[in-house]
Amino acid sequence: MTAAPYNYNYIFKYIIIGDMGVGKSCLLHQFTEKKFMANCPHTIGVEFGTRIIEVDDKKIKLQIWDTAGQERFRAVTRSYYRGAAGALMVYDITRRSTYNHLSSWLTDTRNLTNPSTVIFLIGNKSDLESTREVTYEEAKEFADENGLMFLEASAMTGQNVEEAFLETARKIYQNIQEGRLDLNASESGVQHRPSQPSRTSLSSEATNVKDQCSC
Amino acid sequence: MEELLNDVVPQEDLERFEKKYHHEQELDGEVSTETKFEYAFCLVRSRYTNDIRKGIMILEELARLHPDGRRDYIYYLAFGNARIKNYTEGLKYCRAFLEIESNDQVRSLEEYIKKQSDKEIAKGMAVAGGAALVLGGILAIAMAKNNRNRDK
Repeated sequence: MTAAPYNYNYIFKYIIIGDMGVGKSCLLHQFTEKKFMANCPHTIGVEFGTRIIEVDDKKIKLQIWDTAGQERFRAVTRSYYRGAAGALMVYDITRRSTYNHLSSWLTDTRNLTNPSTVIFLIGNKSDLESTREVTYEEAKEFADENGLMFLEASAMTGQNVEEAFLETARKIYQNIQEGRLDLNASESGVQHRPSQPSRTSLSSEATNVKDQCSC
Repeated sequence: MEELLNDVVPQEDLERFEKKYHHEQELDGEVSTETKFEYAFCLVRSRYTNDIRKGIMILEELARLHPDGRRDYIYYLAFGNARIKNYTEGLKYCRAFLEIESNDQVRSLEEYIKKQSDKEIAKGMAVAGGAALVLGGILAIAMAKNNRNRDK
């Protein structure tokens, strides 16, 4: 992917986790490319995606690590949890087993991230209403009990995909504003970039400021 | 792709899976496929070339003996080779993979390796070109001297 011609104020690290085949990579693809990936093979190990968003007039670069759901990668992908500011935990509303495994994914997340990490639960494939196995109410209750944010989404239609990624960022940003997230801690998953390019900066960031509105 | 290739495994993870590997080796005399893969997955993401080479060796063995996980092994063989700038090998594994399965993840690794390898070739040509210029210069001086000597 080419470097976006933007300046940004923050970098937030996200991870996407959940069982195999729930649509993690499709959600990421829909978010970064605004397209549905029709036949999406199993992710090998880890994939990476990035997009710059805006919260409160601040530009935030999301660095998103999309982990493989296959069991054989479970132990080794744990190292990607460290230092995540946001964790998107995904299940498939048409497969109850993927919902039943959430508590184990949640345990991993809690153990491997820090207390301020924002965890967002996504019930994917909401377009497949006729084969639904998990009700909205049930999942909402689980989310509330565990203090998670929650939405049902569809990587295929795009419904609620933006919302899930953006609301996570808003919550992280809010945590920063309220001092609940220590920016100096290496594991916070957030890097702050000065908004004004300094005189000494010679990166593309400085030269591209005036191109911000090129569409 | 660059982010993935530049990302380095945390030392404690590498050590944990290394310990597991040696533990099984001592205890049972052989290491399970799962443990071998976990260790190799960490090794190819190490910052040290020797670790990466070791990871590649383990993955080569796994790919030869265990067809069921082959796509994972082949991808990380391409990945490891790309990280130590073994671009020809890396491309070979990407192509082998893509012959069996169409896959965007592998395609973007392939594209990245191609780009890097083209850059290296261009660099090599620049160096060779520079060397030719220097050599040409030396020859020119030598010839000029020769001519001058003859003129005397």
